[in-house]
Amino acid sequence: MRMKPESAHPPSDSGFLFRVRHAFRGTLVWYGFVLPPLFLILVFIGYPTAITFQQSVVSETPGGGAEFVGLYHFERLLQSNVFWGAVGNTVLLGVCFLAIIIPLATIFASMLNRLRRGSTPLKVIYFLPQLTSSVAVAIIFNYVFQPDWGLLNGALRAIGIQDLPLWLADPRYSLTGSRAAVTILAVWAGLGYYIIITLAGLQSIPTDLYDAAAIDGASPLQAWVYITLPSLRPTFVFLIMTGATDSLSRFSDLWTLGGPGGAPARSLQSIVMFMFQQGFESQDFSLSAATAVVFFIIVLAITIIAFWGFLRREFRAVR
Amino acid sequence: MTEGPKIATRPVRHRLPHDWRSQALIGVVLVLGAAVMLLPFWWMFATSLSRKADISMPRTPSLWPPDPQLFNYQLATDNLPILQLYGNSLLVVGATTLGYLFLCSLAGYAFAKGRFPGKTVLFLVFLATLFIPFETRMIPLYLFMGQLHLTNTYFALILPFLAGGFGTFLMRQTIAAIPDELIEAARIDGASEFRIFLQIILPLCRPSLATLAIINVIWRWNDVLWPLLVTSDRRLYTVTQALALDGHSQGTYTGVALATAVLAIFPVIVAYLFLQRYVIRSVVSSGVKG
Repeated sequence: MRMKPESAHPPSDSGFLFRVRHAFRGTLVWYGFVLPPLFLILVFIGYPTAITFQQSVVSETPGGGAEFVGLYHFERLLQSNVFWGAVGNTVLLGVCFLAIIIPLATIFASMLNRLRRGSTPLKVIYFLPQLTSSVAVAIIFNYVFQPDWGLLNGALRAIGIQDLPLWLADPRYSLTGSRAAVTILAVWAGLGYYIIITLAGLQSIPTDLYDAAAIDGASPLQAWVYITLPSLRPTFVFLIMTGATDSLSRFSDLWTLGGPGGAPARSLQSIVMFMFQQGFESQDFSLSAATAVVFFIIVLAITIIAFWGFLRREFRAVR
Repeated sequence: MTEGPKIATRPVRHRLPHDWRSQALIGVVLVLGAAVMLLPFWWMFATSLSRKADISMPRTPSLWPPDPQLFNYQLATDNLPILQLYGNSLLVVGATTLGYLFLCSLAGYAFAKGRFPGKTVLFLVFLATLFIPFETRMIPLYLFMGQLHLTNTYFALILPFLAGGFGTFLMRQTIAAIPDELIEAARIDGASEFRIFLQIILPLCRPSLATLAIINVIWRWNDVLWPLLVTSDRRLYTVTQALALDGHSQGTYTGVALATAVLAIFPVIVAYLFLQRYVIRSVVSSGVKG
């Protein structure tokens, strides 16, 4: 074995002191590797998060200090109709989005999976909107949904529909209102990602399950309902979990379309936009911090429930 | 035993005569879906070429304008410093991605192969950041940037995104799979841990680094929430930020607004078409979307 003379174990100095120093030097390197990113994490993630929690329970006093006010800001928050409107919008948009995109993606992924040739360029096309930022998607759909000359209403007029919807300009709860428009937008933008993840799930289903079903004389539709859909369970859990947290933190596209107030008539204001508006525009940092804490707790709860449900199932399957 | 495979293949053969029909049906539905995906992009591009669109948009959308010309693009580039916007985006995305890859793999190496007191606790600290959404801390972070006098600087856009739990976790998993013998051999040859990291670990991690790079580029390129908070100086706007603020049509000059949006969106699409294989693979392997 080749060994350089300056290697770590010179035979002359192998006493206790050397070993201590050597062990210390051995660890020091690793701290040198971990501490720079740890420092950045503590400064830019840990510290501001702690401030969020602190600010949510104090009020600024005229002297420039801060005074502990307990849950006062949370009370203020829960009495705010604007906050509840934002919560309602976020939850409604998220639930509708997931209820549409997951079945749609499952159908499209199943079709792509069956297609013998040409599935790669189709995958690339379906994934395309996912790559363009949600701001870009919002700008595109701002034009698509334009009531007078937009792509959608122009197409509707071309097929003879006279009573054209206002889409983004209509704040009502309706299938052609602003909330429906941004849901269509989100489904269009997100479909590629959901298809590709579902496709990966489909391709991990063992083929002998289908062979066995074919032997038993099951039709392709039966195989899909009784084999494919149950086997996709982990994929669905994953997509619902990530989709729920993504929907809760929805901001960019809604802000681009409706500004921080979620125009028209706050119909597009999400929780994060409310937080942005209170903290950045109204400079009501405590109310924004209280919103952030509520937001954090909801996201954490979803993550824990999903992880717990998901992992428990997986462990049971292993056992 | 010879009966088994025969029975298994028979139903498939039986279905074959009908199969071209289902293939054609599936193909038609999927191509229609793809058309729905592409149509808004194409319509936007086609309309951006029309000078008439500046005066009044055609009531019936068309897939090719009657008067194709580049007039709107001239106006758009005169009004918006498009090269500067791209420069800003590339600087911010490039710096954060390089820093993020370097620091995450450095920490990932320590957590995968290092032995030091407190390793588990420190790793849990890194992992805990995965459970803190950015939105939770954005307002205090913005105020903190103000205290550091960093608002309206590139530092504000770069510094908070140089280290993170996701990248560290991914790199730790990758590096843990590298056999210890390789590292041990280099140590015997007298290489320092940092040299081992640079010359042995990083080259072996190329696929994971590519995945992480792609995901981080998508994240940072598309981010608009943080730039909106910390930069109000137009000279520091990123492409996405400028698009969010100035991409709307004001009622007139819709053609110019469309051309502006095309300039902000289409280069990314072209880059994606070249890299699509890696992009889709990264998203599938990590499960993280941009």
